[in-house]
Amino acid sequence: MAPHAPPAPVVALNLALAVVASSVAPLLLLDKDLMVVAASTSFCRNFQIAPEKAQGCQLAELGGGEWLVPQLSSLLKATAAGFAEVEAYEMDLVRKDREDRHLVLNAKKLDYAGSEDIRLVLSVVDVTDARLAEKLHTGLLKEKGVLLQELHHRVANSLQIIASVLLQSARKVQSEETRLHLHDAHHRVMSVAALQQQLAASKLGDVELKPYLKALCESIGASMIRDHEQLTLSVTADDSLTTADTSVSMGLIVTELVINALKHAFPDNRKGAIIVDYHSRGPNWNLSVIDDGVGMPADQGSTKAGLGSSIVQALAMQLGGKVIVTPCNPGTNVSIQHTYVPVIVGQAAALGAV
Amino acid sequence: MVKKTVILVVEDEALIRMNAIETLEDAGFATVEAGSAGDAMKILELRSDIRVVFTDINMPGTFDGMRLARLVRDRWPPIHLVVTSGLALPTAEDIAAIGKFIPKPYRLEHVIATIRELLDGNASPEPAIKAA
Repeated sequence: MAPHAPPAPVVALNLALAVVASSVAPLLLLDKDLMVVAASTSFCRNFQIAPEKAQGCQLAELGGGEWLVPQLSSLLKATAAGFAEVEAYEMDLVRKDREDRHLVLNAKKLDYAGSEDIRLVLSVVDVTDARLAEKLHTGLLKEKGVLLQELHHRVANSLQIIASVLLQSARKVQSEETRLHLHDAHHRVMSVAALQQQLAASKLGDVELKPYLKALCESIGASMIRDHEQLTLSVTADDSLTTADTSVSMGLIVTELVINALKHAFPDNRKGAIIVDYHSRGPNWNLSVIDDGVGMPADQGSTKAGLGSSIVQALAMQLGGKVIVTPCNPGTNVSIQHTYVPVIVGQAAALGAV
Repeated sequence: MVKKTVILVVEDEALIRMNAIETLEDAGFATVEAGSAGDAMKILELRSDIRVVFTDINMPGTFDGMRLARLVRDRWPPIHLVVTSGLALPTAEDIAAIGKFIPKPYRLEHVIATIRELLDGNASPEPAIKAA
């Protein structure tokens, strides 16, 4: 006798049970009395339940009774009755001789035609390890923040010591020229220090140029300009961000150019203004220090370049920029221009294609 | 002769303290120095002529400059406070409680200007002393 094909509802049930059983995420199929209709292999494996004992067992009696959690039971019963839903319900699975596990549960009442039977799908995610990793990660981040703060503090203190030593030396030397050199050295140290403060405040690797240049100029102005009504020092800059390395070079260039202008462009209490300007467009940028003072001597080629102009030249070159001095009548504009010129023909073509 | 305003400088780094003391004296102030908050307290208990305390926050010892600042604010309200640190900025609440904050590294011109501002803001019987 040929075997009869099983009736359609049985096929559907078998399919449903097979789907539940093979789920990678731990899954239970429950009836309205919270009896296990099917349990996924993953559920049994993750929570150490013998697969053959799961089916037909009450949820509360699974394993050693660890799933008997009154709040969960009432939530599931309410879900079965249709007036609640278990969404990301968190609980600790407490078992004898095993580590506690932290679980996130979701349950849904199944909606399907052709049956009066109520079925619930309960998914169980073990988040113990993920939470632990998260905690560790947060702890490490915090520790890193503390170390970085400590480092900023040490750098600031060291810079203050260096500044104090330079100024103390300046106080003690006899030669006026040496004293001026020591003061210049102090300005350079403070220029690096202003960047340090900007970096400590930003918490990012990059530096906002405008506030940095402003702080720098305020600091130079406070110590070098006697009469702020006679002489102004201002910054016009766009909202560019640059790396710490680039900023420190730019800061030192500005320091040299501003000090130079303050020393030479306004003799005999001449009234005037110095503007520090920075603008960028794509890879191109322009950093200028413009004054409306007496202008540079015409025979500057004959004088030996001082340390200040050597610093400007060296740092401009390091930044890939060119120093351009333009007489303004009155005054002088010293610009560092960085212009991106494609070197290879292929590169130009590639850029053109973009 | 005009009596000079007395400033107590509290700083654990000897070189920084030395430079601060001499620069403040050049600017016309009289100074007293302490290498720790504890020493500063002892000095404050012995002398009644200190008008300004300029202190670092982070110093070794039983208590730091912030605690010193709070103690001074509490016990000697007329004394002006200028606090400095290379560490993170104090909270706005802290600054309001203590007086002025200047981040490290500072320029002493800035410190002197801040001290003058505090002294000028006060109805002081002493005339402000002009810089040398």
